[in-house]
Amino acid sequence: MRDDNEPRHDPSMPNRRRFLQSAAWTWGAVAAGAGSWVLRPTWASAQGPIKVGIATDLTGAIGYAGNANANIAKLVVKEINGKGGVLGRPLELHIEDTASNESVAVANVRKLIQRDKVDVVFGGITSSMRNAIKDVIVTRGRTLYIYPQLYEGKECTPFIYCTGPTPAQQCDEFIPWLMKNGGKRFALPSANYVWPHVLNQYARKVIEGNGGEVIFEEYYPLDQVEYSATVNKIMTNKVDVVFNTVIPPGVGPFFKQLYEAGFTKRGGRLSCVYYDENTLNINAPHEIEGLASCLDYFRAVTKDEPGSARIQADYDKQFPGPIVFAAGSAATGMYRGLKLWEAAVKEARSVGREAVAKALDHAKISEGPGGPAEMVPGKRHCKMRMYTAVAKQGAYDIVARSKGLVDPKEC
Amino acid sequence: MEGVISAVFEVLNFGAIMVLVVLGLGVIAGMMGIFNFAHGEFVLLGAYTVYLFHTWTLPIWLGMLAAPVVVAAIALVLERLVIRRFYAVPVIAMLGTYAVGLAIRESVRGLIGGLYRAVPEPLIGSIDIGAVHIARWRLAIVVITVLVMVGCYLLLTRTGLGLTVRAALENPSLARASGLSTTRIYAGTFAFGAGLAGLAGALVVPVFSLSADLGIRFLIQGFLAVMLGGVGSFEGSVAGAALIGVMSAALPWGVAPVLADVLVFLIAVVLVRLWPRGLTAGRTV
Repeated sequence: MRDDNEPRHDPSMPNRRRFLQSAAWTWGAVAAGAGSWVLRPTWASAQGPIKVGIATDLTGAIGYAGNANANIAKLVVKEINGKGGVLGRPLELHIEDTASNESVAVANVRKLIQRDKVDVVFGGITSSMRNAIKDVIVTRGRTLYIYPQLYEGKECTPFIYCTGPTPAQQCDEFIPWLMKNGGKRFALPSANYVWPHVLNQYARKVIEGNGGEVIFEEYYPLDQVEYSATVNKIMTNKVDVVFNTVIPPGVGPFFKQLYEAGFTKRGGRLSCVYYDENTLNINAPHEIEGLASCLDYFRAVTKDEPGSARIQADYDKQFPGPIVFAAGSAATGMYRGLKLWEAAVKEARSVGREAVAKALDHAKISEGPGGPAEMVPGKRHCKMRMYTAVAKQGAYDIVARSKGLVDPKEC
Repeated sequence: MEGVISAVFEVLNFGAIMVLVVLGLGVIAGMMGIFNFAHGEFVLLGAYTVYLFHTWTLPIWLGMLAAPVVVAAIALVLERLVIRRFYAVPVIAMLGTYAVGLAIRESVRGLIGGLYRAVPEPLIGSIDIGAVHIARWRLAIVVITVLVMVGCYLLLTRTGLGLTVRAALENPSLARASGLSTTRIYAGTFAFGAGLAGLAGALVVPVFSLSADLGIRFLIQGFLAVMLGGVGSFEGSVAGAALIGVMSAALPWGVAPVLADVLVFLIAVVLVRLWPRGLTAGRTV
């Protein structure tokens, strides 16, 4: 805590204070039971801090994504607190591990609501996680919930706000681009769970609406790693574009078998809308050369988008190491969500759920990963810029960008 | 015609991969009566060894040679410290090995940051016969599997060492009475089985990419293969694994992939019901 009555004449003071502040920041991370962390602000206000709950997968299969989410939340909260907090109050971060496991998650999220009494919850990465925890937060917990990941859409529950891309945002401009830069014959190989099923419904509509053709749409068990039958179907049916929603662990061997069969060599276009800087490492660069993806942010965007460049540089400085800031892991949606919520609280001059929801309904931010963003009034989804990128020797090249903010077309 | 050749090769290739992965599991389950739930993690450790060699910019093939040795050494330590305490109670052994496996898996997950890592093949490119492209490394996996299989078989059936191993495992008290150190033989067999798992992991990691869940993917199918072939026989495990591998790869050519996954299990269960003692019962080592 900062003491404003400290003597000013001691020349060593600023250093020591800075040291204490950063130590407080580092050691302020108090473990509050298994899988819980509290990051206390370095200063206090009379009304106490605003409590921000983060529920994300710090451990388990998608731990890499959850840690990126927690990192970006720490970054944004630190930045907001550094500028005097919100409504004169500092933010206190409560992080719970949802452990890539829905039953663990429900118990931990309950702690956020009942024990910590947070004012808002951000998090959840998979749709199954969102569905598991939303009732605990919104219905029984009467708390605002912001979901940051790209997903299949159709989440229209009041008080849930989605800040990641929807099928419309990922398909409307991307699929016509694929037709121009690949061909009209599409294959939709997919993992057998909700996101690919619902995304494919939308993608099929866009493909057929633009005069393309879906040669086959097929679903595989989530852990299938052998795709010779699928690759054969793609090769013999002269498919031009593979619109992939197979996920790890299957996606690596699948792309490898496609490469070995000569799909890209004969001019086929590989595409996958969750591919970001993390997933780029699953295959050797030459195996996925030319793979196209469409997301709200790529690291390559920083070259000509100063806002994104600043966020990326801050992140890299504070969190060097293997956990990277990437769009496919919901980290960009997390940033956007936090900043939109901040704007809404400032406008509402309150942290009450109804008041914040009313302001969040039309909240806007002028700077974020990929550019500005704004909520679509009445829709609880977010308009944002979208980028199409192509993998070239292990990095992305931006090949197309949306003219303005793309409509999520949800609810 | 080209389609048929490449289909047959792909199916054969996955069959070989299954055999390679199950071999070590079969040796430990068959010879020692222990269902080693850490088997998938020994596969993972083999793969991780190769990845380490790759990050140190050492040749991949060197990593592949080192992997079985490294994994066998780790397994030897684990056997001495943990596993040997469970021989009397196989059910506890299953749980114990599961715990060991979990610890290994989560440690590796931490080390690689929970991400997937590509590991290049030591043999790049493909052999082209007309329109058929056969990846060199996949062909190498088939050849190495056959060699390892034959080598193991000869070791167990044609050498004095194999004879003592079989004797010690068949009737431990008689073996001890005849002056054999069963403790050492058990430790050796466990390490050998783990070494085979390490080799499997090392060879398949370029195909599947490294991730913490690399091994667990094969565990259930591996146990199914051992059950199918008959617990307690070397040939049984091999035959079971080949059958499961071939079915997993071949069925999606004919039926919907989601259905194929279930069918593999269904067929295996029916076969186990028809031949409860295993496919090769009564005709084995």
